[in-house]
Amino acid sequence: MLVITRKRNEAIIIGHGIEVRVLRVGRDGVRLGVTAPASIPVHRTEIYDMVSTENRAAADGVASPAILADWLRRQIAQAGQ
Amino acid sequence: MTNTVLNENLPTDGDTSLRVETRFGEFEADRRNLIDFPSGLPGFEQCRHFVIMSSLSMAPLQCLHAVDGAPASFLVIDPRVALPGYRCVLSAPDRLRLRAEEDSTLLWLALVTLGENGPAHVNLRAPVVINPAGMVGFQVMPHDSLYPVRHPLCVE
Repeated sequence: MLVITRKRNEAIIIGHGIEVRVLRVGRDGVRLGVTAPASIPVHRTEIYDMVSTENRAAADGVASPAILADWLRRQIAQAGQ
Repeated sequence: MTNTVLNENLPTDGDTSLRVETRFGEFEADRRNLIDFPSGLPGFEQCRHFVIMSSLSMAPLQCLHAVDGAPASFLVIDPRVALPGYRCVLSAPDRLRLRAEEDSTLLWLALVTLGENGPAHVNLRAPVVINPAGMVGFQVMPHDSLYPVRHPLCVE
């Protein structure tokens, strides 16, 4: 891991066009400003990891969807009445 | 099973048929129906191309299947069917990544997790969004969404 010391209003550049700037340093957190091209998605790591874990669980499911599909169709039919 | 959207941007010369093996059976797909996912899906970053398979017996569920990278098949559902009144707004950068206009019709799909004996869940926090006009999609993770990752999709 590359470790760099930065002060408030100082930044680092990653690759081409991605800048991470320290906006504020507080007691409990650091506020960062990320400037990146629209093609580069930026996410909080814990949210990305949570979605990643849920995606793996979704892909690993072994149960048959038939019962669920049947139940959903009946719910939709009831809601439409 | 049939594909629901058509990719007209890919070359159509030669054989366009594609054999697709999913957890739900083996199907014939058409290469023109491939949807680009430039970033893959979280946890499946190497999966860059998906097809959507539908069948009457599976409706209103559909299957979002990766044709490259790790083998991956997801059950998906329109989030508005899972939760009436569901709403998700795309940010300007997300819209740009989809190459979508303000009035583009987009396809929204929420991933379903089937418990072996327990209840099913649907991920309303991070839906997949596809622009059928550009055959491009990704999984949206809005910063301020209050929807849960595991919304119960109950069976009596």
